[in-house]
Amino acid sequence: MPISPVKTRIPLSSFGHLVTEVKKQLFGIKDPSPDQLTGWRKYFNSYTQQGRRNFVLATYGILVITAAAYLMHKPNKDGKQTSASTH
Amino acid sequence: MTVSLFDQFESPLFLGIPLMAIALVLPWALLPKPCSRWISGRYLTLQNWFISRFTHQIFQPISHPGYKWALLFTSLMLFLITVNMLGLLPYTYTPTTQLSVNMGFAVPLWLATVIIGMRNQPSLSLAHLLPEGTPTPLIPVLIIIETISLFIRPLALGVRLTANLTAGHLLLQLISLAAFVLLPIMTATAFLTWSLLVLLTLLEIAVAMIQAYVFVLLLSLYLQENV
Repeated sequence: MPISPVKTRIPLSSFGHLVTEVKKQLFGIKDPSPDQLTGWRKYFNSYTQQGRRNFVLATYGILVITAAAYLMHKPNKDGKQTSASTH
Repeated sequence: MTVSLFDQFESPLFLGIPLMAIALVLPWALLPKPCSRWISGRYLTLQNWFISRFTHQIFQPISHPGYKWALLFTSLMLFLITVNMLGLLPYTYTPTTQLSVNMGFAVPLWLATVIIGMRNQPSLSLAHLLPEGTPTPLIPVLIIIETISLFIRPLALGVRLTANLTAGHLLLQLISLAAFVLLPIMTATAFLTWSLLVLLTLLEIAVAMIQAYVFVLLLSLYLQENV
């Protein structure tokens, strides 16, 4: 009877976590130790908890800034079009 | 007079009074209360055994701070399983076929798990949105995907229960209508249809119990991530 190579319980609530666990347990891809992470990798990486948190915050920040810039630019663009049509 | 197949899902009114309240309170009226006797009766013992097994099963992977949710999850499970099973009786109303009822359970409980996670361990809750070992080019995409999957959870919870029960009840009504109509015309086919109806009823009994369990199990998984 073949034994499942999956040893630990895989959380089923996230596909991404499932892929990560399968990668780790079936293909043996190991995470680098925190000492090996230098430079900006020390603060932004997908291995340590802080690194992942910083990446999430950075992504949200970029999305918020992009949305704010788009919304600020859009009313100005509408104003310019209406003034051009009246003249 | 044509009868709409969806009439069974309409919220019943009696003299303008919504009977939904009675349907929602019915499990409380039917389930036994703990008694002060030394040895309780069969019904209460069975209920206690079920509650004990269920609580042990659900809370085994959850850490100690999550144990305070035991009462909520167990009562939710008892409520859902009772309501679902009562709805299988002919001419009864099933509150869990209403999306509003199921979303009323799903959204606050899911939101509570998210708020607890953000409040007690904000760093870990945010880190959950990026799976470990993700390649760098995929990180922004995966964060957005995980965020979308996080917000779609309550919708999936509510709609799953609603759709399963509604589809089951609709199928039961359709096949019973077919068996009834075919009885004077083609008796053998009506018998086959009736056999299918019996099997479908057994399936719906299983679905009623399983969907209640899945609802609470998924909530416990969301709690496990955040507590």
